[in-house]
Amino acid sequence: MGRSVAERDREKPPVALTEYADLHGCSCKLGQSDLVGLLEKTGLNTDRDELVFGVGEDAAARKVTDDLAIVSTIDYFTPIIDDPYEYGRVAVTNAASDAYAKGATEQLSFMVVLGVPKEITEYAINILSGIVDAVADMEGVVVGGHTVINPWPLAGAAVNAVATPESLVTTREASPGNVLYLTKPLGTQPAMGALRVKDGEFGDQVQEATDRDIEAIGADALKWMETPNRDAAKAFESAPVTASTDITGFGLRGQSKQVANNSGVGLEITHIPVVGGTAPLSKMFGYGLLDGDSAETSGGLLMAVESDGAADLEAELEARDVFYREVGRVVPGEGVTIDDPTIEEI
Amino acid sequence: MESMNQEIDVTGEICPRPALIVRDNLEEMEPGESLLVTADYPPARDNIERTCQKHGYETAEAESGDGDLFTLRIVVPDEAKGPVMDS
Repeated sequence: MGRSVAERDREKPPVALTEYADLHGCSCKLGQSDLVGLLEKTGLNTDRDELVFGVGEDAAARKVTDDLAIVSTIDYFTPIIDDPYEYGRVAVTNAASDAYAKGATEQLSFMVVLGVPKEITEYAINILSGIVDAVADMEGVVVGGHTVINPWPLAGAAVNAVATPESLVTTREASPGNVLYLTKPLGTQPAMGALRVKDGEFGDQVQEATDRDIEAIGADALKWMETPNRDAAKAFESAPVTASTDITGFGLRGQSKQVANNSGVGLEITHIPVVGGTAPLSKMFGYGLLDGDSAETSGGLLMAVESDGAADLEAELEARDVFYREVGRVVPGEGVTIDDPTIEEI
Repeated sequence: MESMNQEIDVTGEICPRPALIVRDNLEEMEPGESLLVTADYPPARDNIERTCQKHGYETAEAESGDGDLFTLRIVVPDEAKGPVMDS
């Protein structure tokens, strides 16, 4: 990772960014049922003729010509980690993920959203440096942005990408028999929660709850949050992927529910990969990780693929060195079933 | 003998601290006793309820206050013995 600007700023004392917000990362999203109600009451939940797809998907797509669609999305959130540079990286990697989840992987333009409490405006440079470096790693361009003073730090971006309309993937075409894949292990919420309390009165208890070092668990979770879903999305073109979404604040269950509802099917989750050491932390904190209820930040893609194309998808993901696990099946019916899944520590 | 009730106030605390504070208090309590928890951090409600249910504790909303304020009553089950909130 390039840390040039952050390194130049090392003379500044460390800042604990998470202490400036009550909700952290993707868990600051409005609740799923509240959001659905809001969209219904404002009439935004209906299909629009101008769009290939819109509200209800991770991103919107508008057809410009027969072979060109503009894919748009916005995502920003509060600090998930204390370090401003890493926060910037995670936030913009997460923002891009909504475009990737729809299969839009090229020519990403980022309008940065940045909010900084007035007491710590000198750290804006660190957050922005993380954003700039992560965007460069994704071969995107920062084209502008908007920066405000705000009681809680905020970082993220509005993202535009281009794609051929036929290459885009929604959450609406999953069908029974499809195989489900997940491209990152879960567990960012308990991993980051443990980091927030490791130095306080509960530090010893929390460390004793898990057999891995809390710092090592946090470092692993950070690595996953900073891993773009771009390579995973590029694999779409090699296999009959019928539905895709990224796992964020609504957790595995919430995002699965979105696919199930939009496709008119049921999703059966039978296997959950988790960051090693996060399962006992989740149990201690009441986060519901093993039930798919734990909020994730900058999580992986959940993809449904036709069963006869599953081998092709796996081969493509392996060729691109993308982590993946088969996590379940699409079944007839409705809703999401997560009943005593096998848990794999990564 | 009448059951003992205890009360804790975790208003102003954010996750994961409310669940940890509740857990510590429950470990000191005897079967049949109940703990009244007052909190104002919305996600803490789900987290406290989830961790209690996973460990066999009964929870019920005792009171819903102004804004985000809420109160949960947690009852230590009769079968609870030893460090019941082991993770």
